[in-house]
Amino acid sequence: MIDTALFYVFALMTLGGGILCITRRNAVHAAIWLIASLMGVAGLFLLQRAEFLFAVQIVLYIGGIMVLFLFVIMLINLDTAAAERQYSGQWKLALGAVVLAGGEIAWVMARGLPGLGAAAAVQDGGEGGSDGNVERLADLLFSEYLLPFEIVSILLLAAIVGSVFLARRRTS
Amino acid sequence: MTAFYTGTDHFAVLPALLLALFGCAVLLFEFVLPVGMASRRALAALTLAGEGFTAYSLYRQHSYLSSQGWPALTAFQGAVTIDGLALAFNWMFLAAAGLAALISYRYLETEGEHSGEYYGLLLFAQFGMFFLASGTDLIVQFTGLETMALSFYVLVGFLRGRRRSNEAALKYFVLGVLSSGLILYGFSVLYGISGSTKLSAVAGAVAGRGAGDPLIWLAVATLGAGLFFKIAAAPFHMWAPDAYDGGPTPVVAYLSVASKAAAFVLLLRLFLGPLAAAREAWQGLTVMVALASLAVGTIAALSQDNVKRLLAYSSIAHGGYVLLGLVAGNARGLQGIVVYLLTYVFMNTGAFLVLVLLRRGEAEGNHIDDLSGLMRRSPAAAVLMLLFLLSLGGLPPSSGFIAKYYIFLALVESGHYALAAVGAIFAAAGLYYYFRLVKTMFGGRELAGEPLAASMGTRVAMVSTAVVTLGLGLYPEPLLQLALLPVKP
Amino acid sequence: MEGRLLSLILLTPLAGVLLLLLTPGGNRRLIKLMANLAGVAGFLVTIPLMMNFKAGTRGYQFTERLPWIPSLGVEYALGVDGISLLLVALTALAGALAILCSWGAVEERLKEFYALLLLQQAGMMGVFLATDFFLFYFCWELVLIPMYFIIGMWGGERRLYAAIKFVLYTVLGSVLMLLGILALYWQHFQQTGIYSFDIVKLMQVTLPPGTEHWIFWAFFIGFAIKVPMFPFHTWLPDAHVEAPTAGSVILAAVLLKMGTYGFVRFSLPLLPNASADRTVVRVIAVLSLIAILYGALVSLMQKDWKRLVAYSSVSHMGFCTLGIFALNHAGIAGSALQQVNHGISTSMLFLLVGIIYERRHTREIAQYGGLAHAMPGFAKVFAFAVFSSAGLPLLNGFIGEFTILQGVFAANRTWAAFAVMGVVLGAAYLLWLYQRTMLGAVTREENRGVADLTPREWLTFLPLMAWALWIGLYPKPFFDVLDAPVRAILERVAVR
Repeated sequence: MIDTALFYVFALMTLGGGILCITRRNAVHAAIWLIASLMGVAGLFLLQRAEFLFAVQIVLYIGGIMVLFLFVIMLINLDTAAAERQYSGQWKLALGAVVLAGGEIAWVMARGLPGLGAAAAVQDGGEGGSDGNVERLADLLFSEYLLPFEIVSILLLAAIVGSVFLARRRTS
Repeated sequence: MTAFYTGTDHFAVLPALLLALFGCAVLLFEFVLPVGMASRRALAALTLAGEGFTAYSLYRQHSYLSSQGWPALTAFQGAVTIDGLALAFNWMFLAAAGLAALISYRYLETEGEHSGEYYGLLLFAQFGMFFLASGTDLIVQFTGLETMALSFYVLVGFLRGRRRSNEAALKYFVLGVLSSGLILYGFSVLYGISGSTKLSAVAGAVAGRGAGDPLIWLAVATLGAGLFFKIAAAPFHMWAPDAYDGGPTPVVAYLSVASKAAAFVLLLRLFLGPLAAAREAWQGLTVMVALASLAVGTIAALSQDNVKRLLAYSSIAHGGYVLLGLVAGNARGLQGIVVYLLTYVFMNTGAFLVLVLLRRGEAEGNHIDDLSGLMRRSPAAAVLMLLFLLSLGGLPPSSGFIAKYYIFLALVESGHYALAAVGAIFAAAGLYYYFRLVKTMFGGRELAGEPLAASMGTRVAMVSTAVVTLGLGLYPEPLLQLALLPVKP
Repeated sequence: MEGRLLSLILLTPLAGVLLLLLTPGGNRRLIKLMANLAGVAGFLVTIPLMMNFKAGTRGYQFTERLPWIPSLGVEYALGVDGISLLLVALTALAGALAILCSWGAVEERLKEFYALLLLQQAGMMGVFLATDFFLFYFCWELVLIPMYFIIGMWGGERRLYAAIKFVLYTVLGSVLMLLGILALYWQHFQQTGIYSFDIVKLMQVTLPPGTEHWIFWAFFIGFAIKVPMFPFHTWLPDAHVEAPTAGSVILAAVLLKMGTYGFVRFSLPLLPNASADRTVVRVIAVLSLIAILYGALVSLMQKDWKRLVAYSSVSHMGFCTLGIFALNHAGIAGSALQQVNHGISTSMLFLLVGIIYERRHTREIAQYGGLAHAMPGFAKVFAFAVFSSAGLPLLNGFIGEFTILQGVFAANRTWAAFAVMGVVLGAAYLLWLYQRTMLGAVTREENRGVADLTPREWLTFLPLMAWALWIGLYPKPFFDVLDAPVRAILERVAVR
């Protein structure tokens, strides 16, 4: 009962935050509304008992990425940008994409995917169900997905090296 | 509890491990060594040493597999498979990266952008390619793909002072990210229908659904579009001419052969792996893309005055031929793909090498007129370029002939006569633009300026590419033996 | 030595290339000497072949066989029969003469020029000696590149255009031919389980009729462009006119023969049903007749001396293809001999144009007249060449054309009637050319002081003239040599 109530609260947060984010003219306000929307998503994750995703959502998106957003917004000059129309000419394309994605979700919800139910079942009552979500994730990460994990470390290293190189001033 | 990191696991990924190790070592050594040309040269040498060690570990895998009668060696619970296909492509990547390292030294000095990051990224890109060739798990493949792509985005934009390089990198980045997104979408669909990231499990799910299933179509369409972007096949090719034109020439040589081959091996792993059961879903698409690549590549190349752009379009056409090998779909087609890509490594790198040689001081060496009268200025360079162009055009006695030969044979064997005829006609038409370069080199007015001076590395690279291109044309047996690897049981 | 004779013939020009590359670049005379040495050596090594060839023996002689690409079943397989023997001799002679005639004509980039000529010669030898289809194709394509450079670097005003046109035409034909070869190869594998390009083995394939026709047309395009047959001939006048004399000689004497040789060696024996198909024969005969008449008429109209000779080649090669597709003994044997005849007479004509062009730097016929007064020797040789080319009795052209006409007459009288018209027209344009350039009073002052043939130039003509006389007076040895292979072909084709 309380779950249902909370779900609606979080869902409202997500949707309302999203709408306000794109309708505010002030960029800083828009960013803050986006934070609210992301918090709503985090709450939804928690309701699904996905503690790890909840934590990641808070730490990465709200903590990391949004702060970067705000930094950028405050650093660049927005006076002229704010005065201009906020919508670009691409709204038709965006509308198409929204309709397409919505249609896909509706189709999947209506028909259901054969594999989807099974995957959900595994998540609920699979082996080691008593362990917390985070522990199992860690377990997988260091056993079955050890290799991708290590590859990602090189990927990130390459990303760091590359971005540092490109950002660094020419010495000569 | 599954074993954490077994001996087999180690043996399987050792080449990649060495690449990562030497990549990090290059980055670290740059700080340790004193600033100066000698140390920068040492970095290039270190990179080559890394390639040497990698070659040795690949050789050990090769000899182990051949002593066991070519089983598929799996590691990390099926996430990595070392088989003939993986080895054949890894040899290709090794050759391409080694050549790129050899020719970069002088070029980067001229551009004033010589630094360890370059070699580090070169090795990291190869690291990513390793997992494209040997990964049999969607996540491993995707992380490998991104490692490669990310390294290349930076490498293409490595000449920070040059606007065109920046522009090329940006274009390549934006379209590359888009294509990665498409591939990821396809992967998510495959995961969605199978509940597993292992290709073996995905194969079962795909076979269960059949080719007519809309989800399979969705997966094929998105994966296809993303991968065709990566191999620069028309109509997904528009990034290639700009990226080739703007990027540093050694990087472009590396990009055009290795990145293309890596994307192809991913395509093979997916389309001939789990999606083999859904052949009808991708056959038509591949035929159309192959024909479009042949047409666009050949026709657009006719009017190019910039040699790098010309080679970019020719590379698009070459992608079309390789795709025809996939269309043929028989063992010969797979062999043809390996033969084609392997010879392409040498002939295309060779052609770019000559352009590297022309890059001195202010002269960029990319315009067709920069080749003018090359025969008088530097007969050796002109004759080698002739060899590479003949090979790209597919004329004997060069290895490019054997490559085209295999693709045509595969098409004939699988009954695709019309496709073979179209391919043959485009092959003849393609000669026009290659001979335009030949004409300029041998007929054009001689340019003034100091004679060309080749560095040691460039010289080694030139000789080796030429020897391989000519040698495999005259005696292709070793090449064909290597190409047999992917079709061994 | 005996067992490797054909390899020796094939490799001597290549050894010449090496020799040239090792010769120091500064000494022009030395380079020319070395090149001529290589050319003469290339001819001399074919003499034991001529001496020891056993006429009347069926199948290939002097065969050699080495594995080359085992995984594809490709072999380095050489062999000669009567048809290839004559063409090998012609190639060796034309190759040596092409080098000799360039002594005074080419002064730029000597080393490259001679090296390319020799490379070209090796490729042409390979074409005629190969009994492995892959090796044949390999050499066929190999010939292309040296010729591109010979035309494109040492040619006339529009040399680059002519060279690329030549390359694109031939490659387009040859890649389609390659598909035909592959289809045949694949059929052979399906029926026998063996990958092989051996011509003899490939003959054992029984092809479904549809496939056989497709393969035939694929071959046809490759060979017809090379010959060149009527709608594909447009590359020829450009290439001939722009090429330096040596290039024209090689083109006319040998390169065009590769096409007709292809028909005789491959199309007929490998695809007998398609080759004997009524429609196919009719199409090719009509195209050949068009080539004969059209080539002759265009020659009549020409104002350019060299272009006239070039178009006369189209006409003469039409006789060769017509003879082949008469599909009887006289037709094919006559055609094989006429290939040699055309090589001899057209080489002479091109050499003569080259000599006069060297002296006067124009090829316009109207610029000449009454040259016989200034150059009596030249006029004599020219008369000889004209008679030989026009098919005057006692000379080689007569024997060839007569035998072909005999065969064509047996096959179809209407064709023979048109072909005879071609002979008449041929005599007309050649004699008219002779009259306009050689006879009458000297019309232009510049022509008065033109030097006559030098001894070196005489040397280039003598072997050709001797050979022409030999064929004209005593053709029996040549027909003896041709008899066995022609019979073998007819046994294949005359299945129905």
